[in-house]
Amino acid sequence: MLEFLPVYLQVIVGGLLLGALYALIASGLNLIFGVLRVINICHGELMMLGAYAAFGLFALWNVHPLLSIPVTFALLFLLGILIEKTLVERVAGAPELSSLLLTFGIGIILTSAAMNAFKADFRSVPALTGSILLWEIALPRARLASFVTALVITGGAYLFLKRTRAGKAIRAASQNALVAETCGIDVARVRLFAYGLGAGMAGAAGNLIALSYSFNPEVGHVFNLKAFAIIVLGGMGNFAGAFWGGLLLGVVEGLTGYFATAQVVDAVAYLLMLLFLLFRPSGLMGAAK
Amino acid sequence: MKESRLPVALASLAVLAALFAYAALASPYLIAAGFTIVLFVTLSASWNLVSGYTGYVSFGHVVFFGIGAYTASLLATKGGLGWPAATLGAASAAAVLALVLGSITLRLKGAYFAIAMLGASEAVRVAASTWESLTGGGSGITLPNILSPRGAFLLLGITALGTIVLTYVVAQSRFGLHLLAIREDETGAEAMGVAATRAKTAAFVLSAVPAGIAGAANAWHINYIDPESTFPMLLTIQMIVMTMLGGGGTVLGPVVGALLLGLAGEFLWARFPFVHLGLYGLLIVGIVIFIPEGLLPRLMARGILPRTRRL
Repeated sequence: MLEFLPVYLQVIVGGLLLGALYALIASGLNLIFGVLRVINICHGELMMLGAYAAFGLFALWNVHPLLSIPVTFALLFLLGILIEKTLVERVAGAPELSSLLLTFGIGIILTSAAMNAFKADFRSVPALTGSILLWEIALPRARLASFVTALVITGGAYLFLKRTRAGKAIRAASQNALVAETCGIDVARVRLFAYGLGAGMAGAAGNLIALSYSFNPEVGHVFNLKAFAIIVLGGMGNFAGAFWGGLLLGVVEGLTGYFATAQVVDAVAYLLMLLFLLFRPSGLMGAAK
Repeated sequence: MKESRLPVALASLAVLAALFAYAALASPYLIAAGFTIVLFVTLSASWNLVSGYTGYVSFGHVVFFGIGAYTASLLATKGGLGWPAATLGAASAAAVLALVLGSITLRLKGAYFAIAMLGASEAVRVAASTWESLTGGGSGITLPNILSPRGAFLLLGITALGTIVLTYVVAQSRFGLHLLAIREDETGAEAMGVAATRAKTAAFVLSAVPAGIAGAANAWHINYIDPESTFPMLLTIQMIVMTMLGGGGTVLGPVVGALLLGLAGEFLWARFPFVHLGLYGLLIVGIVIFIPEGLLPRLMARGILPRTRRL
């Protein structure tokens, strides 16, 4: 038993490294859901654009993908603001179907645009290679760097929401938009900002994906579905819940991949999600309704 | 208020005759094009039956199409059944899956239901590609040629017609009113004595059957199925968009939407494969922003078309 311990640890650590990326994507998605009550189906596509932005900066000007993160964040933040202002805001208060379809439509426009611009070939940004060995656990440098960066960004966004005045306005609007409005919070602006922030986080996540994985214009789809599963695990609208949900999914997927086949790994997210919807629809962190 | 059903019966007979004539006379290319159209009509009308009338957005409706395709193919290849029995098997499998899935997911409201159905369809797709001993995994199943393209067209055309007639009957019935009441205010409907869970589940099962038959007919048509082409999320979206374009919760809305988009896809977009998907996205965004209620209800509201039913 003991001699297998390093293997298990390796699997769990690998899951955590990926899980932090999931957490970054899903907490942005949950931020948007919490404030706008919109399930942002184009979230994975925004992430994909972040990956191409990092790829472009690296290919054109040799910008290291860890240094391009502020740029991709800002680019996607602006794109998010544009999308919210011109499109998503128009379906505020409409039935769920409207925003589900609208953001899905935006997603396929983005995928199609990326297909035309970059072709379907898989790309990668091989800026950080090799591994470091910690005890008997191999840590690929690129994944370790994305792990740390993802934690820093998610943690930063969490502190921003907890500590700053703007963050409090976002949380207030997320808890009860009507009451927040009567308290003098400009909810329409909060929505705009929350969408921008969520999109920026997706962009940063895409940048990190580019650092450690190969990607093509369709990469967003898989991450979309996993991010939905994660926000259900963590509790819809709950920022911290999405963080823990992301780490949990990463580890469970890692263990599944070790004990079963790689194909089953894809089903894990959906099965976990269905189980949670059945037995604990409020998710790990409770109170979301 | 019951309308006379005679005009509807006559119109259905006329469509039926037209389907037979088309199946007998059309060229192979037109049969293939016609198959796509009746496929879209069947699937949109099937989605409309549950989501258009109850407001529960099934974001994974393609799962019934997929389970139909796999059941029919397995019954035909491993079970050695003919196409009629295998098609019936597909319809039953879709109904059973809808009963099981519905009893789980229909308890969830709004976005939760939509996401749960999306997850369910993805989970079934992964199961189809993982369970290699049964389904052949990613390499799929090749079928013997047991139903000609003309036969498959006719089978699906009659299914499309049947689904629309079923929608008409539901829309005219007390059951249809229950579904609309659930869509407008579920708690209120329950307080007025509507057995909401039973009505929702019944609509879900009814809507799954034509989708299952469509999966079977599609398998007969192309003689090959695999997980990627059998459970595409895009197909669910097409059902939704076509229904929304024509008008959800109306009898003929899905038909109008499926005809418009099906014909546009067949004769216009197919020539521009690289921008096809992007155009589809633009269309979705345009519908949601400009005609969220759909074409038919808008024309009715303007008095251009007569209202089909007064509440």
